[in-house]
Amino acid sequence: MRAVPATARALLLAIIFVSFAFAASSPSAQTPDAGAIGGHVTLTARVRGSRQASAIYPSRGVPRHDPPRIPEIRNVVVYLKDVAFRGTLPLTTGEMRQEHETFVPHVLAITKGSTVAFPNADPIFHNVFSLSHAATFDLGRYPQGQARTERFLQAGLVKLYCRIHSQMSADILVLDHPYFVTPADDGTFRIPNVPPGQYTVVGWHERIGERASPIRVEPGRTTGVELTLPVEDPQ
Amino acid sequence: MSAERRPPRLLVKTVAVTFITVALLLAAVFVVVWISVRTQVRDAVTSNLASSQRMFAALETRRQRELRAEAATLAENPTLKAALDTYQAEVRTSGASERTELLETIDREVERLAARVESDAIVLVDTRQSTLASAGRLAGQWPRGRSVSLVAGKERDSFDGVAHMRNSVFRVVTVPLVIDDASIGTLYLATSLDQAYAQELAALAGTKIAILSENVLLASTLASAQARQFEAAVAARRPADGTILLDGESHAFRRLVDIGDTAIYALGSIDESSRAATRDAVRSLGVIAIGAIVLALGASFLLAQMVSEPIGRLSGSLASMIASHDVDSRLPPSGSSRELDTLTETFNALMASVVAAEAQTQAAYTGAIRALATALDARDPYTAGHSERVGVLSVAISRSLGLPPEEIEVIRLGALLHDIGKIGVPDDVLRKPGALTEAELDCIKTHPVLGARILRSVPFLAPHIPIVELHHERPDGQGYPNGLRGDDIPLAARIVHVADAYDAITSARAYRAARPSAEALKELWRCAGTGFHAEIVGALATALPGVVSEAAGDATGESVGA
Repeated sequence: MRAVPATARALLLAIIFVSFAFAASSPSAQTPDAGAIGGHVTLTARVRGSRQASAIYPSRGVPRHDPPRIPEIRNVVVYLKDVAFRGTLPLTTGEMRQEHETFVPHVLAITKGSTVAFPNADPIFHNVFSLSHAATFDLGRYPQGQARTERFLQAGLVKLYCRIHSQMSADILVLDHPYFVTPADDGTFRIPNVPPGQYTVVGWHERIGERASPIRVEPGRTTGVELTLPVEDPQ
Repeated sequence: MSAERRPPRLLVKTVAVTFITVALLLAAVFVVVWISVRTQVRDAVTSNLASSQRMFAALETRRQRELRAEAATLAENPTLKAALDTYQAEVRTSGASERTELLETIDREVERLAARVESDAIVLVDTRQSTLASAGRLAGQWPRGRSVSLVAGKERDSFDGVAHMRNSVFRVVTVPLVIDDASIGTLYLATSLDQAYAQELAALAGTKIAILSENVLLASTLASAQARQFEAAVAARRPADGTILLDGESHAFRRLVDIGDTAIYALGSIDESSRAATRDAVRSLGVIAIGAIVLALGASFLLAQMVSEPIGRLSGSLASMIASHDVDSRLPPSGSSRELDTLTETFNALMASVVAAEAQTQAAYTGAIRALATALDARDPYTAGHSERVGVLSVAISRSLGLPPEEIEVIRLGALLHDIGKIGVPDDVLRKPGALTEAELDCIKTHPVLGARILRSVPFLAPHIPIVELHHERPDGQGYPNGLRGDDIPLAARIVHVADAYDAITSARAYRAARPSAEALKELWRCAGTGFHAEIVGALATALPGVVSEAAGDATGESVGA
C-alpha cells in the first residue's frame, strides 16, 4: 500500500527529472533508456520459531485479540544493494499504527530523511522505542488517538519495540535510494526506472536477513528475477 | 552309691512346672508381639516417609514452577528483549561488527535480573544455543560464546533441564524470550547441583538428599559410606522409589527430580525413625511381661501350695499317729479335694481293718493262753478254775481301788496267766500230798520267773510280765523270786498276790478242806503288812460281797503261804 505511493512519487520525480535534465549520466539521472526489474518472490521453508507459550503458565499481558492475518509476503522488502544514488531522494511520510498490540504494518521501507507517524489505535497506552544503530530513540507513552512521529536520517535497519508490550516489534528499513518495493500478495514485484547496469537485487526478511541475486539491467527493458526466501507463509 | 538323691519337694515341682509353662508362653507371646510391633512400626514409618517424600516431590515440582513463573516475568523485560533482538538483527542483516553498546545493555539487564532472582547463575542463550550473557554467583562457568547443550526433562513442554558445564552440573529452568510469537533467545535460571543445594533441599524436605548425574554422586547429605553404597546401588538404574539397606540402616527413598541422566533423591532412614517408637512399644511390653511373670510366679506358688499343703497336713497327722502308736484314731478329711478325702477315707478304712485284725489276733493269742492256763489248772483237780477265779477277784479288787479300765484289763489277763510258769513244774511235785522237800519247794518257786520268760516271747503280753513275775513278792521282803519290799512291788502284782492267796485258802486241797471266806479274810488280815499289803486286803474285803458266791463252795485248804 505504502510502497505504491512511494513508487508513484518516485515516478513523478523521475518525470520531473527527465523533463529538466538529459545530460545526467549518473544512475540517478532518469534517462529514457532506463530499464526495470520485475520478478517474483517465493516463500518456502519455515524458519520462524514455534510458539513458545507454556502450557502451565499462560503468557502474561493483555489478552490477544487475534489481529487480521497479514500475508507474510508483506514483510518482505526487495531492494537493490549498495547503489550510489546521487540525486534528491523523494521523501515520504509513512505511517505505522499500533493496533491489536501489534505494529501495522510490521515492516516498512522508507527513504532516508522520511518521517513515520505512529498513531495509537488501541484502547491502551503504547510506546515506541529503538536501540538500533540507525536510529536510537524513545517516543514515550501515549494513549489511544495520539500519534508520535520520528524522522529517520540515517540509512539502515531500525528495530522498533514497545516498552509496555514486550512482544511487539516492527522493522523500518531506511534506504538511501528509491529502488525498493514490497511485493504484491502473489509475490510479484516491479522496480521501475533503474538505470542500466550490474546490480545485486536483494530479498529481505527480518528473520533471515538478505537473499541476494546478481542482475543486469538493460536499457528500456524489464529484467526478470526469481527470489526464493526460506520463510514460511503461515497461510 | 552313697549319692542317693531324695526326690524334690512337690511344692518345688509344681512351681517349676507351672512357672516354666507360663514363662515359656509369655516368652513366645513377647517374641511374637515384638516382631509384629516392629513390623507394624516399620510399615507405618515407611509409608509416612513415602508420603512425606511424595508431598515434598510435589512441592518441589511446584517450587520449580514458581521459579519458572518468576523467570517468565523476568523474560518480559522489554529492554533486554529489544537489545537482544536488535543485536541479532543487526548482526544478521549487516554482518556488522559487534555492537558493543547493545551487548553492554544486554549485560546490564541480565545483571539486574540476577539481583532479583535467587539463582546461582542467570544466563541468556541465543537461538544458536550459545551463551550471550550471564550474571550471578557462578556466572564464571557460563562464559560468552560457549555452546550449551541442555538435557531436557521427559515431560512435554518441560522447562526443567540439566546443563553440564566445565566444572559443575546445573539444574536449569528455561524460559524463552518471545517477540511476535517467535523465540529470540532463552533465559536460563541455573542452580548448581552441589553440596549447598543438597543441603538446602535437605533442610526444606527434612530428609536426606542425594544428587546423581551421569552415574556419579554429585552431592549428598548422607554419611560418606552410605553415600557410596547408594551411588553403587542406584546410580545406574535410577529407580523411582523403594527401600535400600545403607550401611546396615534401612532407608526409604524417592526420586524427586528425573531429568535425563540426572536425578535427585530424597532418603529417610526407616530404622532411625522407627527406633524410638519400637523402643517405647518394647518397653511397655517388657513392663507387662515382667508383671505377668511375677504374677505367674505368685499364682503358681499358690497353686502348688494348694496341692501340696493338704498332703503335707495328711502326712503330718500320719507321722504323729505313728509316733504316738495311736492306731485307733482316724484321720480327719482335709476338705481340700475329693481325691485327697477319698485317700483319707481309704486309709482310715485300711487302718480300721488292720486294728480289727490285730484285735482278732490278740484275742486268738489270749484265748490260746487262757486255754493253756485252764489246762494247767486242770492238771490238779484241786486247783481247777483257780486262774479264772483269781482273775475275777483281781478285777474286783482293782475296781474297788478305783483303777482305770486299761489297767484293770492288764490285771485281768495278768491274773489269768499268773501261774503259767507252773508248766515247768513236774506233776509229782505239784500234786504231792504232804510236805515238800527243800528241793521240791525251790522247784515250785521257779514258776514266776519261768512264766515271765514264756510271756516275753509274745510281744503284746509284755504289760503282763510284772504281774506273772512278781505275784509272790511280799511287803516284808520275804517273797520270791527277787525279794522286793513294800512299794517296790507293782500294784498289779500286789493285787494278784492277795487274790491268789485268798483263792488258795478258800479252795480245798488234797490234805485239807476248803476254809470259809471270813476265815480266809481273817488269815489275810493277820498277815497284812508282812505277807500282804494291807490296803489290798482292805479292798478285797470291800469287794468280796460281790464275788462271794463264786468262792463259797469249798471250805478246806491251808495257806499256801507266799
